Amino acid sequence: MQAPAVAPEPAHTDNQAFVVHDGKESWVDAEAAARSGYTIIDFSDDWTPFIFAEQSGPDGIVMHNRYRRVFLGLANDTLDEDGEPLPAGEKNYLELYGIPPSFGVLRARFLANEQQTCHATINQEKLEEVETIAYVAPEKMKSEAERTARLHRELEDARKKNSAATLAELAQKETSFAPKVKAYERRVAEKAAMAEVEKRLACEGMLKHGGKHTTGVYDDAMRLAVRRFQQKNMIYEANYLRSKTMDALALPPLANDYQAFMRVLRERVVSAAGVVEDGSVESKAGAPTYTGKSGKPVALRNLVDELTKSAAEQLGLSTQEAALAFFKHHPAADFRRLRAAVKLPALPEYYAPDMDLSIVIDRGDVWYDLPWDASGVRHPQPRKHYPSFHLYLKYNNQRILLARWRTTVGGWRAEQATDGYEYFRYKGSDVGPRVIRNIVAGPVWIAPESTPIRSLLKMKDVAGSWQRVVNYDELGPGYLSAYGLVAGYFVQPGKNGKADWDNGIRAHGSSDYLSIYSSEGYSHGCHRLPNHLAIRLYSFILRHRPMRILGDQGMGFARQFLASDDVFEIRLPSRGYSYQLEPPLPVEVLEGDIKGTLKTPVLTYVPKPGIKYPGPPPAVRNSDEGRAGAGAKSEGEE
Amino acid sequence: MRTPARSARSQRWLVRASRLALATAALLFAVSITAWAAGKQGKDAAAKTTDETGKTADGETPAAKADTVHVTIQTVPPRKAQVKWGRKNLGPIPAPRALVLERPRDSGPLDLTIHASGFLPVHTRAYTFTDSRVAVKLTPPTEKNTLFGYREEPAPPPNPDAGAPPALPDPPKP
Repeated sequence: MQAPAVAPEPAHTDNQAFVVHDGKESWVDAEAAARSGYTIIDFSDDWTPFIFAEQSGPDGIVMHNRYRRVFLGLANDTLDEDGEPLPAGEKNYLELYGIPPSFGVLRARFLANEQQTCHATINQEKLEEVETIAYVAPEKMKSEAERTARLHRELEDARKKNSAATLAELAQKETSFAPKVKAYERRVAEKAAMAEVEKRLACEGMLKHGGKHTTGVYDDAMRLAVRRFQQKNMIYEANYLRSKTMDALALPPLANDYQAFMRVLRERVVSAAGVVEDGSVESKAGAPTYTGKSGKPVALRNLVDELTKSAAEQLGLSTQEAALAFFKHHPAADFRRLRAAVKLPALPEYYAPDMDLSIVIDRGDVWYDLPWDASGVRHPQPRKHYPSFHLYLKYNNQRILLARWRTTVGGWRAEQATDGYEYFRYKGSDVGPRVIRNIVAGPVWIAPESTPIRSLLKMKDVAGSWQRVVNYDELGPGYLSAYGLVAGYFVQPGKNGKADWDNGIRAHGSSDYLSIYSSEGYSHGCHRLPNHLAIRLYSFILRHRPMRILGDQGMGFARQFLASDDVFEIRLPSRGYSYQLEPPLPVEVLEGDIKGTLKTPVLTYVPKPGIKYPGPPPAVRNSDEGRAGAGAKSEGEE
Repeated sequence: MRTPARSARSQRWLVRASRLALATAALLFAVSITAWAAGKQGKDAAAKTTDETGKTADGETPAAKADTVHVTIQTVPPRKAQVKWGRKNLGPIPAPRALVLERPRDSGPLDLTIHASGFLPVHTRAYTFTDSRVAVKLTPPTEKNTLFGYREEPAPPPNPDAGAPPALPDPPKP
């Protein structure tokens, strides 16, 4: 294969992409490079994943996607989730929810962190000394301090009594004190680390949100700052100072920026190459194998990591210093239309424009029993085997597992009945064969009438007034939507001219990652994936299956509801941007292992313990949109 | 060099001029809104207003997209009402005519509140992706039980002392 002709060094045009040879950038014609085997990676600030890219219909007319503008505005820190201008200097930090920052935003982050001096005042050692910092509720701070002081006095008395020079020596001399010495030292180390965490979060400008912070207290301001830090660094943890969060806090800001850079590059590479294999199928025994054309076993590759690493190496961006130099070399204006050309390793032999893909969902351990008794006491329903999502490929008479991810199945949820009261209802996940015919980017969830009113409202600053509005975050389109950033609709194909049967189950993106990764997490019947994985999955499917672009699915939905003598009106102009798979994608949902006493789900409403109802529960309502409601979160769910 | 007195005078003049400019701009804005509302009277029914799907009433798609969109707001039943966007008063709905707002295309949604005398306030949303019509249904307080979300409070528990005479106050102390 011949290398494309190298253009003269200085200015580059929109048709050019940069290549790196011997550490130097040069410009090539992007189309010519693509023809000669290069992959063009989009570094521009108007990049979106395939599902939000500008698409054209068969007549060549662009079919606009309403959410594309918002996606770009969020990635570039110019718009908020409603598509309204973001206040100057405000940051979105939405990578955790499936919207990576643009390279322009990363550039600004790198350059600002290189200049900032406050990080030098942070004691890294104190941060590295602890793995986590135990949460102490603000109201328990005083008693916790007293307890620590008592423990200190007790240990000091013992130290003197045992003629030990230090507490460590005491623990050695009198082993019965060892656990107490360990607990005391841990608490002291955590307190010291907490002070450094506060400095670090203040240094990153994160403690200015969420009200006033009291030094040393894990209050709301602190929790919100930790959440923003986790969002910025794509850390899937609850909003506390747990191990991954502490690891990132202990790294210098530029090191975290470089990790963000590699994640952003990863999504661009995945998008350019159209791959999905991310190593999620690997086990302790290593990667699974398939039989290649040669008849020999071939190990399944982690293409996401392999191709990202290859791109970074070819572009000379394998270190934090190199990335910083790259951003210094390219002014912000370059990222308006910057593209790179790389020669990625060849894709596996099973790649084709039309791949025989299918999805299997294993529901894992399933409980139908009520998790509460009549007095509201919770009964544990442990699961060893969690629900999982499998993407398969049929190739040369073998079924190859390309990706396997944690997902959710339905469980007991709060639902509003026709009498205006909330009850519990079991909202399970259907079992058996289905298909995905439609994939919707920026989907809208039409909240069923059973959605608790409390979740349909939120407070918002509307043109200078802090007021209650309909919570469109839940409805979408948007990263917080009940259907996330993209959804595949499960249906049973209609026969003899009848329409498909849709029971409201989808496999969709979700910002509620705790529901996916926690032992207590359930959905309303849908199968949730983190937004970035759902985007990768459906972008991959759409690029390797025959499909038709249906475009924006306009509708004129409006529904009113009452909340404390004000009428609120939900208005939804579109269902989202639809793609139709032709033929549809096969899906199989496995029943899983039914645990507990009940072997079939309860189909009626169950009163909530402690609530006074006007009468017996009304009959349940069914609607196909009632399944995925992130709006109706369970008690205690975040 | 400018003397302090002259400088103060010129500052006062600048303040007055800015106030005048602001007042003129406000007047022009009010006139344009009223003109829109008045100009649209009678034409609304015949005009090619688009719904929120971007298609015109007769199913056509507008050929060229303007930089602005028109949001037409009506009340059902037609009643005079005020339209507020946060603290900003966007003007009255001169029922039976509609209020027509002009907004930059794709500039984000407007969370509006409609206040009509004798009806519950309605919070609704208008979009700017394309021309759209927002027909807001008004509900009088006496009919709020027809709205979703209305709930009847459970009856108070029966009084265990029902039927017993009220306790007598303590006799006055001597």
